[in-house]
Amino acid sequence: MIWFAALRTAIDAGTVVVLAGMGELLTERVGVLNLGLEGLIGIGAVAAVIATDLGMGPWTAFVVGMLAAALFGFLFASSVVVIRTNQVLTGLALVLVGVGLSNQLGNDYQGSPIQDRFRPLPIPVLADIPQVGPALFNHTLVVYVAYVALPLGVAFLLYRTRHGMNLRAVGENPAAADAAGINVTGMRLCYATIGASFAGAGGAFLMLAFTPVWAVDVARGRGWVALAVVIFAAWRPFRLVFGALLFGAMISLGFIAQQQNWGVSSFVLSMLPYVVTLTLIVVPAALARFGIRARSTVAPGSLAQPYFREER
Amino acid sequence: MSAARWAGTEGRRLRLERRLLANPRRAAILRVIGAAVALLVSGLILELTGRSAPFLAGEVVDSTFGSRFGLEETALIATPILLAAIAVAIPLRMRLWNIGVEGQFYMGAWASAGVGIFLDAPRPVLLISMAAAGALGGAAWILLPAIARAWWGVNEIITTLLLNFVAILWVGWFSIDIWRDRAAAVIQATPLVGATLPTFPGATILHVGFVLPFVLAVVFWYVFRGTRWGYEVDMAGGNPRAAEFAGINVRRRIVTVMLLSGAIGGLAGMVHLSGATFRLQQTISSSYGLSGFIVAALAGASFIGVVAGGVFIALLLHSGIALQGAGLSVYIVVAVYGLVLVGIAVGEVAARYRLVFGSPARAGSPAEERAPP
Repeated sequence: MIWFAALRTAIDAGTVVVLAGMGELLTERVGVLNLGLEGLIGIGAVAAVIATDLGMGPWTAFVVGMLAAALFGFLFASSVVVIRTNQVLTGLALVLVGVGLSNQLGNDYQGSPIQDRFRPLPIPVLADIPQVGPALFNHTLVVYVAYVALPLGVAFLLYRTRHGMNLRAVGENPAAADAAGINVTGMRLCYATIGASFAGAGGAFLMLAFTPVWAVDVARGRGWVALAVVIFAAWRPFRLVFGALLFGAMISLGFIAQQQNWGVSSFVLSMLPYVVTLTLIVVPAALARFGIRARSTVAPGSLAQPYFREER
Repeated sequence: MSAARWAGTEGRRLRLERRLLANPRRAAILRVIGAAVALLVSGLILELTGRSAPFLAGEVVDSTFGSRFGLEETALIATPILLAAIAVAIPLRMRLWNIGVEGQFYMGAWASAGVGIFLDAPRPVLLISMAAAGALGGAAWILLPAIARAWWGVNEIITTLLLNFVAILWVGWFSIDIWRDRAAAVIQATPLVGATLPTFPGATILHVGFVLPFVLAVVFWYVFRGTRWGYEVDMAGGNPRAAEFAGINVRRRIVTVMLLSGAIGGLAGMVHLSGATFRLQQTISSSYGLSGFIVAALAGASFIGVVAGGVFIALLLHSGIALQGAGLSVYIVVAVYGLVLVGIAVGEVAARYRLVFGSPARAGSPAEERAPP
């Protein structure tokens, strides 16, 4: 009984990680490392909160959140792709700007829950199955999109279209892609911006569905978790969904433990998602090293490397 | 250089020329300029949102230099920031990013608090044991990221950062629950530690731990300038393959350098605990790890630069605390840090370019383009 409720929470909690992670996956596939997810989630969240406060409906607020994050993502991308600043430094700068700015702007909205939020969209027939129905088929539309449409769409784009092949080529070997006539700068700017807007969508989803009240540091490390899950997923869309669900399950476990009074400190329960995420990236790498499991994919070849045509 | 050759000839076009290596001094100057421009921009934004920047600047100067207490307070904040900056700067020489200094700070404070609360020993012995425990705690906290990076190729940025969240929760657990001072009226903190660092003669609050970062900066400046180990670390950072061929065990260097960094981060926690807060509490660090990171980025892993930058950031942060009275939140300070980091990153790029008159240099000139070492 409670386990089905837990599954429901796990799916909801993992949605932010799927959204932000899928954006980062696209960004990293074109060779740009955006460490700023934590800040972008905050920006998306605060923009959605402000938009709702101005009387916009949940969908408009969601789009506003995406656009706000896309703007910051574009500024970040312009800096690292055009000016070619160090991607680690600039990404961390984005975290600080995003977290600082969103905390400042969100301060006025603390403690007042958003009323006009996403409503669950039960899937006909399936949602009526006892237990399983409410757990799996009675979520908001964003959840279905994040878990089903998005990975399918991204996988199709990456592996089944010419544009997707070009995209991967830019990330693996920008010099070769450039020689083949692909616009490396344009591709990187475009996907780094789109990727950032996904993180903003994650933040907006947090506010409009999952925990609909502003609190300081909304992202709570989910941006960093998403970065780790992309590595765990070996830059593949479906594995990313699996990793995000594992993270969601840990969050959900914390809720259950508190509800059921298992007597475990809430501090320990809060540590769990971070510890599990850490294991997710360290253990497979260690196993691959000892030859127990073959490493399936490595990072995109030009990840975090600026591209200079002159040095080709 | 080609620039001189081509200036004054026809087809005078202004253009940017990129060089393969930036002159370190030029890079340092441009990083500082970048940071300064970022501060000016932040001031401008504050001005536009209705907060008077000149007034704020006056407030800063007053709160810090206006009284002796202000100066001592600033030095008190500078100590953990400088130590954290040194902790970040050491692995940065190998191009390794330790973003987990905050976590190592917390675990160092936790370990030394454990010793300080439960060990009964004369003050000097207790202080030395606490320092050892702090360094060990910090080093232990970076052990897994170090091994994972050196042998399994796991990105150290994300592993060190994720451990920050765990460390803060860990300290919260102990200070609010397990080690909480149930006798005293204070809540959410442990009992006082058994030994505290002495203050400077004549000082009210400034403890002797203030000299530690300066001593360490000089030590590491010498290590990276005059010792074989320092040279090998720099070499392994510059070109790991070449270092490997030269017989340097790069993996072992990675682990050593990261453990050293963690130990200093932990020591920073111990110094702050025994010199400033005296109890372990969940908020023992006011993002000192973060400030230290900014300092190290500004200084570009030069230890002399770290000292200068650390004092500067401490001034900024102390003023940030003073400014909270003037209607500025700590969040704004974080956002300004972000802009400063952007300024540093842009300055670093600018150092590689030179404004040149004339048409592109002829083929074969790249050899001359290398800046003098």
